[in-house]
Amino acid sequence: MKKIINIADEVVNDMIEGLVAANSNLLKRVDGFNVIVRKNKSDNDKVALVTGGGSGHEPAHAGYVGEGMLDAAVCGNVFASPSPDQIIEGIKAAEMGKGVLLIIKNYSGDIMNFDMARELAEMEDISVETVVVNDDVAVEDSTYTTGRRGIAGTVFVHKVAGAMAEKGADLAEVKRVAQKVVDNVRSMGMAMSSCIIPAVGKPGFSLGDDEVEIGMGIHGEPGVERTSVKSAVELSEILTSRVLEDLPFKEGDEVALMINGLGSTPLMEQYILNREVHRFLTEKGIKVYRTYVGNYMTALEMSGCSVSLLKLDEELKELLGAPAETAALTQRCKGVCK
Amino acid sequence: MIITRDDILEVLKKIATKIEENREYITDLDSATGDGDHWANMNMGFKKIVDEIDNLKVLEIPELIKKVGMLLMSTIGGSSGVLYGTAFIRASQVIAGKSELDKNDISRMMEAGLEGIMTRGKAKPGDKTMIDTLFPASNAFKAAIESDLNLHEAANVSKEAGYNGMLSTKDMSATKGRAFYQANKGLGHIDPGAVTLYYMIEVFSDYIVNK
Repeated sequence: MKKIINIADEVVNDMIEGLVAANSNLLKRVDGFNVIVRKNKSDNDKVALVTGGGSGHEPAHAGYVGEGMLDAAVCGNVFASPSPDQIIEGIKAAEMGKGVLLIIKNYSGDIMNFDMARELAEMEDISVETVVVNDDVAVEDSTYTTGRRGIAGTVFVHKVAGAMAEKGADLAEVKRVAQKVVDNVRSMGMAMSSCIIPAVGKPGFSLGDDEVEIGMGIHGEPGVERTSVKSAVELSEILTSRVLEDLPFKEGDEVALMINGLGSTPLMEQYILNREVHRFLTEKGIKVYRTYVGNYMTALEMSGCSVSLLKLDEELKELLGAPAETAALTQRCKGVCK
Repeated sequence: MIITRDDILEVLKKIATKIEENREYITDLDSATGDGDHWANMNMGFKKIVDEIDNLKVLEIPELIKKVGMLLMSTIGGSSGVLYGTAFIRASQVIAGKSELDKNDISRMMEAGLEGIMTRGKAKPGDKTMIDTLFPASNAFKAAIESDLNLHEAANVSKEAGYNGMLSTKDMSATKGRAFYQANKGLGHIDPGAVTLYYMIEVFSDYIVNK
């Protein structure tokens, strides 16, 4: 194992300190907890957005804490849900009297721990609503999941719900748009190499030099098939067509597109994939309103990518286009940024 | 017979000892079906309770039970942590305002804890989990007091039902947790979670009987 770490059991702590040091204008840590909150609470009381999950997916989720997106992110151990006592600290640090929306990726551990945290919050008279993101179309029921897995499409939920909360909407409204994103976002990924959990020290699975696994999860959970290396054209069609069929997306739809790198895939390759996905969508008569390319939700050093599409209406377009300032995603202009 | 705060603290300490003494057995069971870390996590959780006894002994019983749930949740971690946390916190809610507990309180606490674990874990009896110990133990306790047995007697039948429930996991196939991902779904092995839950029932029952 070759990694830039000190002690394997302390990677989460060390990562958090480094992240805060790099973004001290935006972020701070809640003392004694693996919780990242905005340095300055919003000027106006608003619904607070809190999320979290296992670490190893950076910049998710702490990288999305800031104006226009999240209020707190709770970091679990690598690929393991944070515990409820950590989550409740995030809830308490973030809430401003207008309630809290918990954004949860659909993994059994996350569901259980966030559900308990919600119960603890309610015992303290904090009103809490939840949305569960399950955008990955690859498989039903997986190693750590009942139903579908939550992956990179979650970032769209953070963005849209964050913009709605920033406008001063109440908890029900913020939950409504968050759920609307969940209902309209679909993703599909593939992996070209494994990743190593620092405390484990060896790869969780292996892929041959000329093999890729279509539909693999962001913790190395099995996908739908192993196949030989494909061209960018072929990959874009395999991934995008699965996404399109599922919703289904139709000719004339407007979408937001996210090409997400899993950690070790160079931006050059992500841009090449983006070129082909754009071409494919144009052929299908689907209009790309806004494109995001980059490492938005990684799987340690796994190489591979995912393609996410969010079907837009006027409301989602406005909220997606609203400004945001976070460590990992900053938008300055309203509407379409060209 | 009435259960006081001191009784609860004694039972918690004895549970910690019981778990500590069974390192090898639990770890062997868990290596066959899970990650092999169940004993270490449970031991860490109950050690923490013992370390915090001075802070716990100043709390009223419901707050004490809730605090135990919070400590187990944060120290054990993973699914076991949140499930035990849920059980103790739910149990604390059904005895609000009480400064001592009778057999009806104990029955309600067991039921609330069981209900919490089943809801949180989305699991039921027969899934090869801790529920297979607690479900029969809680039911037996309830049935015993409904037929006017005293606390002492109810604790005894509850222990026996829990013991049989624990043993029954040997012939079950897991539908939850890590054992589910084993080729044989843990068949032929007692579930380590069912065993550690049984230790709690056993220690409680023996304490009551000897008091």
